[in-house]
This record gives sequence, C-alpha cells and structure tokens, in this order.
Amino acid sequence: MLWNEIVTTVLLGLGCVVSLTGALGLLRMPDFYTRLHTAGKTDSLGQFLILLGLVFVTPDLLTQIKLVGVAMILMIAAPTATHAITKAAHLNDLRPWTKRDPGGEP
Amino acid sequence: MNAVVLIDTLLLILVTITAVAIIEVRNLYASVMLTSVYSLLMALVWVNMHSMDVAFTEAAVGGGISTILLIGTLVHTAREERPIKARVHWKALLVTAVTGAALIYGTFDMPRFGDPHAPIHHFRVPEMMAQTVGFANGTKGKQAPPEGFDAREYRSFNGRVADIPDDPTDTAWRETSVLAQDGIIVPKVIGHAAHAPVHDDAGHHPHPADDFNGHVPNSVTSLLAAYRGYDTMFETTVIFTAGISLIMLLRRPRRQGEAQVGAPMVDQAVLRVVTKMSVPFILLFGLYVITHGELGPGGGFQGGVVIACGFILYALIFGRAALYRVLPPPVIDVLTGLGVLLYSGTGAACLLLGGQFLDYSMLNRLSPGDGESLGMTLVEYGVGITVSMVMLNIFNQLAEEQPT
Repeated sequence: MLWNEIVTTVLLGLGCVVSLTGALGLLRMPDFYTRLHTAGKTDSLGQFLILLGLVFVTPDLLTQIKLVGVAMILMIAAPTATHAITKAAHLNDLRPWTKRDPGGEP
Repeated sequence: MNAVVLIDTLLLILVTITAVAIIEVRNLYASVMLTSVYSLLMALVWVNMHSMDVAFTEAAVGGGISTILLIGTLVHTAREERPIKARVHWKALLVTAVTGAALIYGTFDMPRFGDPHAPIHHFRVPEMMAQTVGFANGTKGKQAPPEGFDAREYRSFNGRVADIPDDPTDTAWRETSVLAQDGIIVPKVIGHAAHAPVHDDAGHHPHPADDFNGHVPNSVTSLLAAYRGYDTMFETTVIFTAGISLIMLLRRPRRQGEAQVGAPMVDQAVLRVVTKMSVPFILLFGLYVITHGELGPGGGFQGGVVIACGFILYALIFGRAALYRVLPPPVIDVLTGLGVLLYSGTGAACLLLGGQFLDYSMLNRLSPGDGESLGMTLVEYGVGITVSMVMLNIFNQLAEEQPT
C-alpha cells in the first residue's frame, strides 16, 4: 500500500468513527442540547476528517483544492448552524437536562 | 449485484420512507424539514446516476430555497396541522392509483436501466465520443483520452451501428443505420452548426457545435446545453409569471410614513460575523455557477437560486431594510423582467443575424462553436437574473407584515 492510501484509510476510519458516535449520541443522549452536541461533531470534525482523507487519493490538484475549500466552508457553517439552533432553543426557555433536574424537554 | 443499483435501491427506500413521514407528521415545521431531506436524498440518487446538473438543481431548489420559502409561509400559518378524522376517500384513492399505474405503465417503454441498446448509445453518445467531448484535443484544461481509445471502435461496438463516417458533418449514415431499419426515426439536422464550416485555428479542434469548439469538458452538460432552447425559455417565463402573480396577490401599497420593518438580529454576534464573512462568497459562487453553466454542471437556475439565498441570508440577519438599501424593490422588479428580455433578446439577435430563433451559432459566423458558447452564456445569465430576483421577491412578499 502506498503511503497516501494508508493516510486516507486512517483518516476515513477516524471520520467514520466520529460520524458513528454522532449518530449513536443522537439516539442515546437525554436531552436536546446533548443530542445537538454529538450531532454537531458529525458536521464539523466528521466531515473534515473524511474530506481530508479524500484529498490524499485525488490525483487532480483542482479537485484537491475544492475538497479543502468545502471542508473549510463546512467547518465555519456547521458550528454556526448548531450555535443558531442552540440559541433559539435557549431563547425559548428550554432548560438543559441535569442529573438533579431531569426536567426540560425529554 | 451492481453497486450503482444497490445504492439506488437503498436511497429510493429512504425516499419512500421520507415521503410517508411527510404525510404522517402533524408538526408542519418537521414536515418542511422532511421535504428538504427528501430533496437531498433525490439529489444523491441523481449523483449516483451521474447526472450532476439535475442533482445540483434538486439540491439548490428543493433542498435550499423551497425550504426557506415554506418556512416563510409557515410564519403566516399555524405550526400544527389540525387533526383530521381518519377515513379513506375512495375517489381520491382511485384517481391516485390509476395515475400511478399509468405512470408505471409508461416506464415499460423506456430502455432498461443501463441498457447498451438504448437509442442514446447509438445516436448521440457515439457522435460525442467521436468528437472527443471530455477528451484531449490540445485544448487547455482537458484530460488525455484513455489509453487505446479509438473513436471508430467505440462507435461500432456490438456491431449495431457500423460505418459511421469520420467526418462529423456527414449525417447520411443516420438514414441507413440499423436504428432507422428498426423504425427509430433519427432526425436529420439541417441548418445546424454541424454543417457550417469550422475553422481549425489555434487551440480549436474542428468539430461541430456539440462541444462548442472543445470548450465543454463534460458530455452530459454538452448534451443539455445543446438543447437550451424554447423549453428553457418557457421555463424561465413560467418562473417570471409566478413572480408577477405573487406580486399581484400579496403586494399592497405602502401607507404614508410607514417604516420598513424586519428586525435585524443586533444581538447575534456569531451569526452577524459569519454572515458578513460568507455572503460575498455565496454571491461569487452563484456567479461562478451561472458563468460555468455552459461548461459543466450548473447554470442559470442553480446559480440564480444560490444568489437569491445569499441575499435572503443577508436580509434575515441584517434586516430587510438593509437589503432594500442594496437592492430597492423597484430594481428587483425591473431585473425580474430584464432576465427574460435578455433570453428572448438573444434569440431575437440570432433571428436578425439570419438564423433561426435561438440558433446561437449565428452569433459568430467564423466559429459557430464560439457563437454557441456566447449564446449559452448570455442565456444562462438571463435565466439566473430572473430566477434570483423572483425568489427574492417571493421571500420579500412573504416576510412583509400582513395587514391584520
């Protein structure tokens, strides 16, 4: 195996693990904020690792630049979207879940 | 099992589940988000079938702007659908079932999925491969043809269509081909740029118009672009008409001294900074998509929608008053019509130059391919201007405070 294929495999594997934890968290976490916390990682870190992994096996320089560009844009846009959703929930008086106070939204 | 078919099947199952969920969900916001998901899944299906143009449109229009506009509509209506008594409406069910059955019956006439005997593989594709659309011919930015590629061999694969002359302007083979014997009518193109003399100057391969003198690196786009004619013009006109109708329905005269509302999000620092940062890039990307529309996936519809989204984002964060300072409503109205005028004007210019309506090759007599390229670009801009301004107008009308 060439070195770039090894790098790609490792990065894609990591990206898949992060995405999988995001999906798992979405099902397992107790309330809105924690669920969004895990889902947000899929959008930012997961996509970044996967796109970066693809850069190393793409032969075309222009496509490599485009992949990095997409990763950067998502790196800015996805956390902003998560922030906006969280803030909207907060402004609507959604209480976060705590061990002592499991109220809020189920 | 073929990987493409496998992925398609999985995606289409998801699409069906989403469609059922859209009907079942009572919360209308959730329903709108599910329509967005539906469009994204369909876009993935198109990507899987390598039709990037359609995928791009589906993602931009279905997943992007219609979600925004539907949410804008929800502001004026209720959030929850009223529960209805569950009973079967037999007449509606019958009509739906018959329509669905008729549509499925219609697909029986289509070639099987991936059928090598489909007409497209005998008529257009061999021609395009013979013209080496997407392959090298010395034009900058093109890849070399695959090792051992032989256009003649490709054209005569499985022996159905042999004897296609190397000269692309010679179309006599179409009448004598196996397809014609099978009763499939292959139209003879008369007066098309393919018959015009093509100059073999620097960097230009002597082909007919289908790849615009070697400009188009993507054969699907080349095919789509070659058909940008009346249908696209009337699509643009339909959008224009929709915009005009909406203005007539929703716009009301502004009362004296009435301030333009639309609260800017002054206390949302993160959103303001990110918006300020990204709006220029969104607009630039929209222009790129429109300009690149004749060369690759993209075009006026997608680019126009992207530009509209950029302006809508700006209006959401900084308030509609700020948007109206950049683009006053009269300017939006004028631009809406200007796009359609640009499209039909390009067609009229071809007419005046001695060709047929929308025969872009007339725009450059010496090099018809370049003329087509120029015509396509003008037309894409016409579409882009109209689409973006109509979308912006719809958003503005929806966001307007309704009289109570």
